[in-house]
Amino acid sequence: MGVILRNLQKVVPLRRARLRKDVDTLRHILGIQKFDLGVICVDNQRIQQINSIYRKKNLPTDVLSFPFYEDLRPGKLPCPLHRDELNLGDIFLGVEFVMNQCREESLDLHGALTVVTAHGICHLLGYRHETEEEWTEMLQRESYILSEYNRLTGRHLEPLMKRCSQDR
Amino acid sequence: MLKSVVRSVGAAVRLSSATTSTARALPLSCPTLRSPSPAIARPFTRSLWMLNSNSSGYRPKLFSSKVLSPSVSCRCGGLHTEGDKAFGDFLSDEIKEEKKIQKSKTLPKMSGGWELEMNGTEAKLSRSVSGEKITVTFNINNSIPPNFEEEVEQGQQKPAEEEPEIVSTPNFVVEVTKQAAKHSLVFDCHFPEDEMSHGEGEEESDIFAIREVSFQPEGDTEWKETCYTLNTDSLDWALYDHLMDFLADRGVDNTFADELMELSTAIEHQEYIKFLEDLQGFVKCN
Repeated sequence: MGVILRNLQKVVPLRRARLRKDVDTLRHILGIQKFDLGVICVDNQRIQQINSIYRKKNLPTDVLSFPFYEDLRPGKLPCPLHRDELNLGDIFLGVEFVMNQCREESLDLHGALTVVTAHGICHLLGYRHETEEEWTEMLQRESYILSEYNRLTGRHLEPLMKRCSQDR
Repeated sequence: MLKSVVRSVGAAVRLSSATTSTARALPLSCPTLRSPSPAIARPFTRSLWMLNSNSSGYRPKLFSSKVLSPSVSCRCGGLHTEGDKAFGDFLSDEIKEEKKIQKSKTLPKMSGGWELEMNGTEAKLSRSVSGEKITVTFNINNSIPPNFEEEVEQGQQKPAEEEPEIVSTPNFVVEVTKQAAKHSLVFDCHFPEDEMSHGEGEEESDIFAIREVSFQPEGDTEWKETCYTLNTDSLDWALYDHLMDFLADRGVDNTFADELMELSTAIEHQEYIKFLEDLQGFVKCN
C-alpha cells in the first residue's frame, strides 16, 4: 500500500506524479512508509464545505487532516496489531487556496503543496498547535522535516510559520 | 451516484437501457392463452366456444381487439389500434415535455479547440498539439448509469422538483498519435460510478479514471486483442499518475472530463428526442 492520491478539482493544473513523489519523500523522512495515507486535492468550494462541517468554520483553507489515530503522542508512531490499522488517515489539500496564496507571494505551487502536506502529516502524527508549547513543538518538527527535504532535493522550502492552518 | 430517470415534473419517464424491458403484446406462450382445462376439471369455467359464440344475447368476447379498420385514405399498410393511438398521443406529450427541459438546441462547445464529429450515436473529438493528434471517442448508447432507487429517509421525501438530473457518463477512448508513427497510444477511460454520487462531500474518486492502456495500430477502429494491454487495476500508482499527467498535458484533464459529460448528456438528450419523434412517426403512419 502507500499513498492514495485523488484529484477532485479542476481549478488547479496539478502534476500528480510530482505531488506523489514529494509526499513519498516526506514519508521517507518521517519513517512512515509502511503506513497508508490519503491525499485528496480539492477546490475552495469543497474545502470550505469540509471546514464548515467539521470545524464549524465557513471558510476555505489550505489543509485539513483527518487522523486515523486520534490520540497519538506527538511524533510517536502507532504500533498497529493488524494490517488494517497501517493507516495514518487522510489529508485534504485546498489546492485552490494554496494556488491563490502562491500567486500573491510568488511561490512555487508544488513547493507550497509540499510544505502544506508536511504540516498535514504532522497533524496525523499527533502534533497540534493550540498552545504556545504545542506550536513550538510542531514548528520544530516541521523545520526538521523540511530541512531534510531540502537536503535531499536541493530545494528551499520553509515551514508554515506565519499561519496556523487549522485555526482558520 | 445512481440517478433517478425521472427527468422533470412533467414526468417524462423512460427506462434505462440497462433495465429495459420490452412491453409488447401478450406472447402466445402466455398462460392465459393456452387451451383451458376440460370442463370436468374446472366446472365453473365457461368454455371458450361458449364465449365466442354468435348466438343471440350478449356474449363477452375474450379476444377481440378493437382494431380500427384502416381508412381508405390511409393505405399505409400498417396496423392501427387504439393502443397505437394512445401511444402516439402519449409520445406527443413526452416530446413536448422533453423539449421543454432541453437545455439548448445546440450542443455545448468543448474548450481547448476540440473539433466534434458525429457518426450516429458515436462522437469523436479531435485536436492537434505540436504535431500530435489526439482523438477522444465515445458512444452515448448505454451511457447513463443504471437507476437504483435511493433510499428515502424516514419521514422525508424528495419533492419532484429536486429529482436529480440525468447525466451521461460514457466510457471514452483517448488516442494519441505522434507524427509518422505506426502505433497510437490508446487509453480506455471511464467515469467511476461512485464519483457521480451526491453526498455530503463523500466522493473520493477521481473524476475520471484510466482503465486500460495499449499501443494499437494507427487508424484501426477495432481494439486489437493481440496487442499488450496494461490494466490499471493492479498498476503501480506512480506509473498511473504519470499516465494521468500525460493525458492532462494533452488536454484530457478534469475540466475536459466535466465538459465531456455535459456534451454527452446533451447529445444523448437530443438523440432521445429524435428517437421519440421517429417512434411517433412510425406508430402513427408509415
